[in-house]
Amino acid sequence: MADSIASPPPPPTKRSSPDLFFPVSDSEEEDDIVATSSALAGPSSSAVKTEVGSQQLDSNGNHRASSASTSQMRVNASRQQDTTSFFSSQNSDDVIPLDSNPAQSSARSAGAAGPSSATLAPRKRGSKSSQSPPASIPASFETGYLGEFVCEGWSLSKGKGYCSPGSKVIFERPRAKNVVTLEDDAKVLARAKEKAGPARLVNGKVVGARAKPIGGKQVTLGSMMGKKTPAPARKPAGKPVVDSIIRFRNDRGFAHEDIVGRLSVQEAGFLTHLLDTDIIALGGSVIDCPQSLSTGSTILLNVKVFLTRTAFEKVEKDGRKEEGTFWQEQKETIEEEAMRKRKDALGALFSRIGVKPLRSNALLLAQKKNGAAEINDNSLKHFSDDARPTSKTGVKRSPSPSKGSTSSTDKGKGKASTANSDDEDDEDSGDEAEKLDDEQMNEIDTIYRKAQQGDKRLEETDPPESFLYTLRPYQKQALTWMTAREKGDESVREQSLHPLWEEYAFKKEHVEGQPIEIEDDDDFVDPSRKFYWNPYSGELSLTFPTSNTRAKGGILADAMGMGKTCMMASLLHTNQEADMPSSPDPDATTGDEEPASKRPKFKQVTLSNQWRAIPTIAKPVNVPRATLVVCPVSLAAQWHEELGKMSEKGTITSFMWYGNDRTDIERLLAQEGKKKVDVIITSYGTLASEYQKWRKIKDKPSYEGGNLYDHDFLRIVLDEAHNIKNRTALVSKACYELKGQRRWALTGTPIVNRLDDLYSLLHFLRLEPWGHYSFFRSFVTIPFLNQDPKALNVVQYILESCLLRREKTMRDKDGRLIVDLPPKTVDVQVLDFSRPERQIYKHLEDRAKRRFIQLDAEGRAMSNYTSILAMLMKLRQCVDHPLLVLGKATEDDEAVEKLLDPDTGDERTSLKEMIAMYADGVAEEEDENEAVDPEFAAKVLKELGEQETTPICDLCTNEMFDEVLLPCYHRSCQDCIVEWIGTCEDQNKPANCPSCGKGPIRLSDLRSIQRRRKRVNPITGAYVDDDGKPSSQGDAGVTLGKVDLVQSTKLRALVRKLEAMRQEDPEVKALVFSQFTSFLADLIETTLTKEGVRWLRFDGSMSQAQRAATIEEFGKKTKEPLILLISLKAGGVGLNLTMANHVFMMDTWWNEAIEQQAIDRVHRLGQNKPVFVTRYIIKGTVEKRIMKIQRSKTALVNASLAGGASKDKAASLADIKKIFGLDEDDSEDEVY
Amino acid sequence: MSALPKRILKETERLMADSPPGISAAPKDDNLRHFDVTVAGPESSPYEGGVFKLELFLPEEYPMNPPKVRFLTKIYHPNIDKLGRICLDILKDKWSPALQIRTVLLSIQALLGAPNPDDPLANDVAQNWKENQSAAIAQAREWTRQYAQ
Repeated sequence: MADSIASPPPPPTKRSSPDLFFPVSDSEEEDDIVATSSALAGPSSSAVKTEVGSQQLDSNGNHRASSASTSQMRVNASRQQDTTSFFSSQNSDDVIPLDSNPAQSSARSAGAAGPSSATLAPRKRGSKSSQSPPASIPASFETGYLGEFVCEGWSLSKGKGYCSPGSKVIFERPRAKNVVTLEDDAKVLARAKEKAGPARLVNGKVVGARAKPIGGKQVTLGSMMGKKTPAPARKPAGKPVVDSIIRFRNDRGFAHEDIVGRLSVQEAGFLTHLLDTDIIALGGSVIDCPQSLSTGSTILLNVKVFLTRTAFEKVEKDGRKEEGTFWQEQKETIEEEAMRKRKDALGALFSRIGVKPLRSNALLLAQKKNGAAEINDNSLKHFSDDARPTSKTGVKRSPSPSKGSTSSTDKGKGKASTANSDDEDDEDSGDEAEKLDDEQMNEIDTIYRKAQQGDKRLEETDPPESFLYTLRPYQKQALTWMTAREKGDESVREQSLHPLWEEYAFKKEHVEGQPIEIEDDDDFVDPSRKFYWNPYSGELSLTFPTSNTRAKGGILADAMGMGKTCMMASLLHTNQEADMPSSPDPDATTGDEEPASKRPKFKQVTLSNQWRAIPTIAKPVNVPRATLVVCPVSLAAQWHEELGKMSEKGTITSFMWYGNDRTDIERLLAQEGKKKVDVIITSYGTLASEYQKWRKIKDKPSYEGGNLYDHDFLRIVLDEAHNIKNRTALVSKACYELKGQRRWALTGTPIVNRLDDLYSLLHFLRLEPWGHYSFFRSFVTIPFLNQDPKALNVVQYILESCLLRREKTMRDKDGRLIVDLPPKTVDVQVLDFSRPERQIYKHLEDRAKRRFIQLDAEGRAMSNYTSILAMLMKLRQCVDHPLLVLGKATEDDEAVEKLLDPDTGDERTSLKEMIAMYADGVAEEEDENEAVDPEFAAKVLKELGEQETTPICDLCTNEMFDEVLLPCYHRSCQDCIVEWIGTCEDQNKPANCPSCGKGPIRLSDLRSIQRRRKRVNPITGAYVDDDGKPSSQGDAGVTLGKVDLVQSTKLRALVRKLEAMRQEDPEVKALVFSQFTSFLADLIETTLTKEGVRWLRFDGSMSQAQRAATIEEFGKKTKEPLILLISLKAGGVGLNLTMANHVFMMDTWWNEAIEQQAIDRVHRLGQNKPVFVTRYIIKGTVEKRIMKIQRSKTALVNASLAGGASKDKAASLADIKKIFGLDEDDSEDEVY
Repeated sequence: MSALPKRILKETERLMADSPPGISAAPKDDNLRHFDVTVAGPESSPYEGGVFKLELFLPEEYPMNPPKVRFLTKIYHPNIDKLGRICLDILKDKWSPALQIRTVLLSIQALLGAPNPDDPLANDVAQNWKENQSAAIAQAREWTRQYAQ
């Protein structure tokens, strides 16, 4: 055997090779050198060709003739333009796409083609689908040369003559059953080998050249190199897995059909899947082997890998079943498993060969910067949860056989990939990458940054004239972007490579006889040589995958108060124009088709509807032209109103569609002329209930259509789209199901607190492929949970394509702020409790703290989580006003009861008593003193009336606030005198009048003084007298009343501030936010009324109509101060309240963003006065610590927002400890 | 140290800008509640011609609680002891929040002009004052010359 290999075949090879490639016969020596130095391509190219040739030979059945025939073939080839040159001409390289050039292909078919087609043909037969060329694959494409690598194998034969260095080998898979394909391959390879044999002999060096220059001369000589001892030792066949064996044999046809050996499973096991699925073809040659083989001796092989046409077919389609299982946690289907194996194997292959992407998108680059591994290794690690299967089971074959190999390969992945890959470093760096960081959520902004790059350069588009408002430059830019998104014009923003794909190029296979080109990766690469790989899904493609999809629409995520509504309105106008004259917008029609056909789920819906829709409606409206706006109910009226204001009469008409008497939507939209409706405004709630209704009836035969869901909208706009962040919520589903061509999500917070929030928006937008949950999950969610920074990168790239976000602090290209809002001043007023308040608070807090400690010590804190939160709420209420603690309005009465009477009943009593005293004590005393001595009063009032300016309090030396009258006619601030009396009580001394020493004074002796503003400030006559009736002594402009000690510190501070504001601006309008409706409704209202301040209230209990009326009322011009009391939850979002420029935050919410939202009701476009924000904080209470936590943005925020349903209770508990001051070195101002 | 109440700021301002005759008070740089005070001895009193240094401290509870004041300069006075502590009702139980630093200092100045040996703090001085007023006054003068000039 050895002889035969060594001697007979070689000579012919030699001969033929020189003929072909080195027409002037070179000396062997020279050949050696050339081959060595020349690229890898040399051998590989020969291999390919040889394959081709060999196959033919095979068919001839004459193996003996092989060498001759080979040479013949070659000759033929050369005559006809040699296969090689054919390649080269085509691509300018001798690269793989054998058939890429049609012209060539003809040539091929004529002569040289014979071989090549033959080569491929068998493979194709093997693969099911191969013959029908997928659209994306150029018809001419057959295979692409990927590269080669050195692999170790073991001999399975004994004796000489099986192979020698340089001889071609044929790879095959052992199981006949699997292997129609393989068989073929084998044959091909066998032939190749035959040829190779000769070739090698001729240019012995050529064979081994690439990987092991060593081969050169000795090979030629037929002597073998020193055995590669290390190799076998290195890779003991750990667990030979039958299924992953790849055998190779020599190329000398039948006589020597013996199996020469097999590849090391560990080294090449990953190829099996690819071979079985016909994705790659292999060629190869022996680099080194012992002269005489014995079983198990090591043979060093050079393996060339070609990607076949099959590889580029869209396997994916079968696998995309995911969509069907959308809502469930996906199970891996057979197809998916196959894809995964393929992906893994390809990844291993790429790294093994050392193929480097010409270009991966910046995403991947960014990863690398982070020290992450090559995508090939790294991605595999993250995305294959299971082992990487080594075995090749067919796509449909049972996965079981692969199990064994799986494990081995799998390890291979982690560890062994090191062994596999030549660049081993990658691995380690990959691990490092995983460790990266926790800080992601804190830096959500960075996520947006990428998407913001270059936005400054967006063109500006002017809205049509029917749009009455003037847009700011950045809004015009948004218009440009939005219009482009709707038209599918991607050129506005540069198009980038799809984030998940990498660009590669086939290598040039060296062709003998051609000048050897040094590959230079940096050079321009002929596009026809490029191919693309998606290391995540395993897909391959020959066409450029772009990151943009055909989804029309996007996410407009400008920060709050930048006029998203306005921008959207301008888009309505712009498109109105585009749509009306020429009937069907070409985009529109196609756009309509796409989503439907793409997603089976929706398609069905569409079908059934159309089925029925035809008879029902005369279909006057073929072209969808209406826009559906979905927004929170509180904003519906605002949309309606603003649209009206912004639009020239008759151009755009909107209709609020909600409530119980919803009109038939089709009829509504079919109206023409004056009644024409362009925009339907509805609320999320309405939509959800409509959806439920529709789902119930849509499949009944009696169903007549006419439902909202039967209508094709031109555009769907979700305002405050974070409302659908929960993908399983009914309202989210309701939005997904809407039919519309263009989809927009407006939100200032596309990511509220989880990356998953984004998913729902993407799904609504139908942005491929991210709108698939499984996709999103594997690329974003899971990596994110693994703290893989890649997750954020992916998100960035998703957003780049579909999200526009500007912030108020951004500057335009000229460096000016894009939004020029008036300044905003935040004044944090740290107040101190009055004595009784502090007593009550402290009592309450002590109790809560004790209870918490107790629960915590007993380990029951978790199970009592809700009640702990309720306790906290009580504390927060107490800070606002002690009376709130007893309020019935609180949600968790039970929990609170527990708080109020923990285990010691008496304490509860005392606390309640304390509060009761606080509330009632004064009232009682008032009763006593109800009758004021008229003489006394008259005297005082006379005195008081003569004073024109607000008196100064002796105690605080400020203007008196809450002026009270002492029995001695001295006056003071209520706070001051109350504190004085308290101090004296503490010191057990009589509380005498600070000014005259008369006394002692009791709280009940105090009388409040209320001055009619008109009198007090005659100069500023603008003040309108309140309608409160003056007292009998009213002439003086002063009334005496009971002192209301029940007012809380915050409340009094508010009143004081309002008074000051009134002085400055008699028409001031202010918002007062509190999270406790009871505080607003029961306490603040009462107080304001008493103070004669006009107020309005806006909260969740009001109907939509009431809300609208309230807002309208608030917007009216008034001559007096007007206060809007808003509950944080109901009014924190969306409302445009720029008529006010003062904001009061009465309490502290867990999440600063929510508060920010609230403030932005006022500080937003349209505001032209400076904005003043006042927050009230009480010293030494939970509030301080809540603010700290706010700043550290820890988990409790989420927990509380979620109403205690957080999964992360442990973290929350830690926070609670902080709040109770148990876990923290309290700062000095947190002394109790 | 929490923020300085407005009242203290106001008082300080006024003291600096418009101090009562014979009296000066200025807060220390490192603690605005801590004042360096000088009081001139009232005319036709044994302390005439002397300038007495005092320190004044405003406690956290000021003005609900009185300031703390003591003489730094040695003085021979029945209501002021060796440590400089002052026996003055408004600094104790007669304190009223309506009083101010200025009024306190004026009161102290007045105390110099009108010693009250019946409510002594320095018993020996008081006794001397009662028994031999002229000697006591001479002694006071002497001390004034010795320590306060």
